[in-house]
Amino acid sequence: MASKKQIIELTVNGVQRDGMAEPRRTLADFLRDDLGLTGTHLGCEHGVCGACTVLVNSEAVRSCLMFAVQANGQEVTTIEGLASGSKLHPVQEAFWECHGMQCGFCTPGFVMSVYAFLQENPDPREEEIRPALSGNLCRCTGYQNIVNAVRLAAEKMRETSAVPVPASAIE
Amino acid sequence: MAVSGSVIGNYVGASVKRVEDPRFLTGQGRYVDDLKFPNMAHAAFLRSPYPHARITVDASEARALPGVIAVFTAADLVGVVNPIQIDASLPGSKPLPHTALASDKVRFVGDPIAMVVADNRYIAEDAIDLIQVDYDPLPPVPGMDVALDPASEPLYEKAGGNISYHDAFTCGDLDAAFAAADRVLTETFRQHRYINVPMETRGGVATYDTFTGELTYYAATQAHNAMRFFLGAQLNLPGHQIRVIAPDIGGAFGLKFGIYREDMVVAAAAMQTGRPVKWIEDRRENLTAGGHAREDTLTLEAAVKNDGTILGLKVKMILDAGAYQVTPLNPALFTTIVRTVLPGPYRFLNYAFDATVVTTNKAPYVAYRGPWAVETWVREGLADIIARELGLDPVEVRRKNIITQEEQPYKNALGLTMERISARETLERAVELADIPRFREEQKRLRAQGRVVGFGLATFIEPAPGGAEYMAAMGGGKEPAIVKIDPTGHVTAYTTQVPHGQSHETTLAQIVASELGAPFEHVKVVHGDTQMGPFSLFGTGGSRAATMASGAALFATREVKKQVLQIAGAMLEASPDDLQIVNSIVSVRGVPQKAIPLAQIALLVYLAPAHLPPGSPTELIGTYAYDGGEGGWSQATHCCWVEIDPSSGKVDITRYLAVEDCGTMINPAVVEGQVRGGIAQGIGGVLYEHAIYDENGQFLTSTFMDYLVPTAMEIPPIEIDHLETPAISPVNFRGVGEGGAICAPPAIINAISDALGVKITEQPLPPTRILELMGAIPADS
Repeated sequence: MASKKQIIELTVNGVQRDGMAEPRRTLADFLRDDLGLTGTHLGCEHGVCGACTVLVNSEAVRSCLMFAVQANGQEVTTIEGLASGSKLHPVQEAFWECHGMQCGFCTPGFVMSVYAFLQENPDPREEEIRPALSGNLCRCTGYQNIVNAVRLAAEKMRETSAVPVPASAIE
Repeated sequence: MAVSGSVIGNYVGASVKRVEDPRFLTGQGRYVDDLKFPNMAHAAFLRSPYPHARITVDASEARALPGVIAVFTAADLVGVVNPIQIDASLPGSKPLPHTALASDKVRFVGDPIAMVVADNRYIAEDAIDLIQVDYDPLPPVPGMDVALDPASEPLYEKAGGNISYHDAFTCGDLDAAFAAADRVLTETFRQHRYINVPMETRGGVATYDTFTGELTYYAATQAHNAMRFFLGAQLNLPGHQIRVIAPDIGGAFGLKFGIYREDMVVAAAAMQTGRPVKWIEDRRENLTAGGHAREDTLTLEAAVKNDGTILGLKVKMILDAGAYQVTPLNPALFTTIVRTVLPGPYRFLNYAFDATVVTTNKAPYVAYRGPWAVETWVREGLADIIARELGLDPVEVRRKNIITQEEQPYKNALGLTMERISARETLERAVELADIPRFREEQKRLRAQGRVVGFGLATFIEPAPGGAEYMAAMGGGKEPAIVKIDPTGHVTAYTTQVPHGQSHETTLAQIVASELGAPFEHVKVVHGDTQMGPFSLFGTGGSRAATMASGAALFATREVKKQVLQIAGAMLEASPDDLQIVNSIVSVRGVPQKAIPLAQIALLVYLAPAHLPPGSPTELIGTYAYDGGEGGWSQATHCCWVEIDPSSGKVDITRYLAVEDCGTMINPAVVEGQVRGGIAQGIGGVLYEHAIYDENGQFLTSTFMDYLVPTAMEIPPIEIDHLETPAISPVNFRGVGEGGAICAPPAIINAISDALGVKITEQPLPPTRILELMGAIPADS
């Protein structure tokens, strides 16, 4: 049942945002309805499909399983924060070039998951890619082109050094 | 060349990157749940937890909750939403009238009883909990066996039992066929309930102008014109007072053909409250009540010669339609499609088909990607069983029975003329690529090591959209398109397709640009608004787009091109026949200096018509409604290799190959995406997905933890090989959207059957069932 709203202040895609939300309001609903960032999609609202994946402090999370109040003071990145103007991020480019989507509904979640995965693992082995995608459901593509897109995105990101060189590589 | 006498070819056949994608990739797609209107309210449904019960409803407490705008029950909708009555004119079918919200009784777990409209969804769901319903349970009808019992509790009292349709068909001389047979084989195939599971659930936003009386419904639909037509009828709104807009659609796979009871209540609520009302189905509702598919049982009796020739076939089909018929399709129609398509490319001239549809306390039966798919499974399963029983090679059984090019045109059992059917060629190509003898040796070697491996294949044809006779039999209609050139010389193509993954914004633009001679970037495809573009009831589905929508766009482009060339001919003092358009510049062939840009012609037409020769067109617009001509059939042979872990029963698909023929590919990447996506759904359906009811009609798989949609871990890489048999008609594009999902189940099941050395006539095949079939654990009957 309804309870008192709380102030929420957070950084979204590098911009300070605030709003009021009941403690029960999910981060996904807060992003979509309160902040108007509708690129984050809801496919199951029980943490299986991954369509609502966003980054909180650079970690991929399911925004349907997190409350908005938990994101208070945190840094959130959504699908809207990836491209610079009309310049797509290499992950987005790769999905486009590989025909890695059909209806497009699951796509923002996949792109965010892949983005987070490649930050951690810029040069994934073939057998690491599919497990990394297994937290996201796509009903259209049969996944093959998404797997191809991950491979291509990794290549593009290595070429453009869009990924910071991991600390382990420097040592 | 795709089209005779045409310059098409610049973009057609190329894997042009989709114009849809940048918006999807950046979160700028606009799906119904992304739409927001001033003062918008949110709806939630109260649904029955009982499969079958009489009910009384008291919503007074919910109505009093702060933030609640209105609560609708069946009583509140009398005179607002008409009772629902699906067309029962199909001979043998009974009317099953019902109301948009359950009135006196509920008929399945998930049956909508009430809808709350509130300031936000959270309050709406709070209010749902405050509605008091007394349930007086009735004996459940949880499946077809109970439904067929005349003593079962009728879901619809006036229907006199739970059989809602029966029909029998026969052709040829079955007595002679069975008398001449060496063997008669009888098998019963049981297919379970699948769920479509588009990643975007159902939903809509209704807005109502209380002064003009106009309703606008933004709907996740694959047939916006049908939605307008039938929703208007339910709400007593004339056509001009209802507009349906389909924004971006997050998948459908047949689910979003329906005009659902929920759509009617949401639209009525906007009219009653005067506020925009949004309803977005949650996943639990979607799995429980959105609609299920494919629960069919078919018994086949085949008269067979010892060489594998099938002389005659008798089929009995029972379809479990669930509790309600979804507007506008009578589920009996699915049995007629199964009957028509089942012979496929085979010579089944002596053929009988007996169909029964039953009503049960389950979610409604809806279309799902190749709604007739069971026909391919049972035919291809039977072919393998015949091979097993007679000690023949499964490929040889197919060679004995599948029509060849030399026999075509071939009049089949249903009276359909089969022409340019290349199923046989796909089979031979697949056999060549599969190198079966080598696999058999490998299999022998691996079996000696205790490994369980198998190979299976399946061949089929699909009406995509089917020949002219097929389309006439199915009431096909025409597919219209409008192509306009605007004053800047750019092009807008209007289609009645409602793309939701099929890429029509790209593929139709490829066709229009190529045919006109314009850059691809100059063409925009507009869809999904009943106030714009032409009318067709169908929308996207039934694999109509590749032939019919593409053909319509092609011919409409020719119309407008003719207008352009007429004007250009007069201006350049040349015969229109000597003109060409390249890169949107009209020129005289061989005289490049005699040229005029398309943009200049367009500007003159719209802004300075007085400067044009007398008799010039006053606007540049081409319209065409294409009936599909001879249309055509797509065909394929799928091969599947499996390895089964004997300790866990897990099935691993080690290789998968599809050899398909859909004619000329407009966009190969799109074709392959459709094929792979369909196969993934076939794999999911056979190995993982199962909508389960218990023996009391309680629904058990209402989350993604219970209803298992395959991930990237379960779907293997899929090899595709293309044949491109020319069509008879000038438009040589055929659909491939449904075939993957149709042909994959028999290929997989035949492979598992081969691996285990047992006959399999059932789906699904989860690990426990595999272990039972292996005899590793006792069968749970």
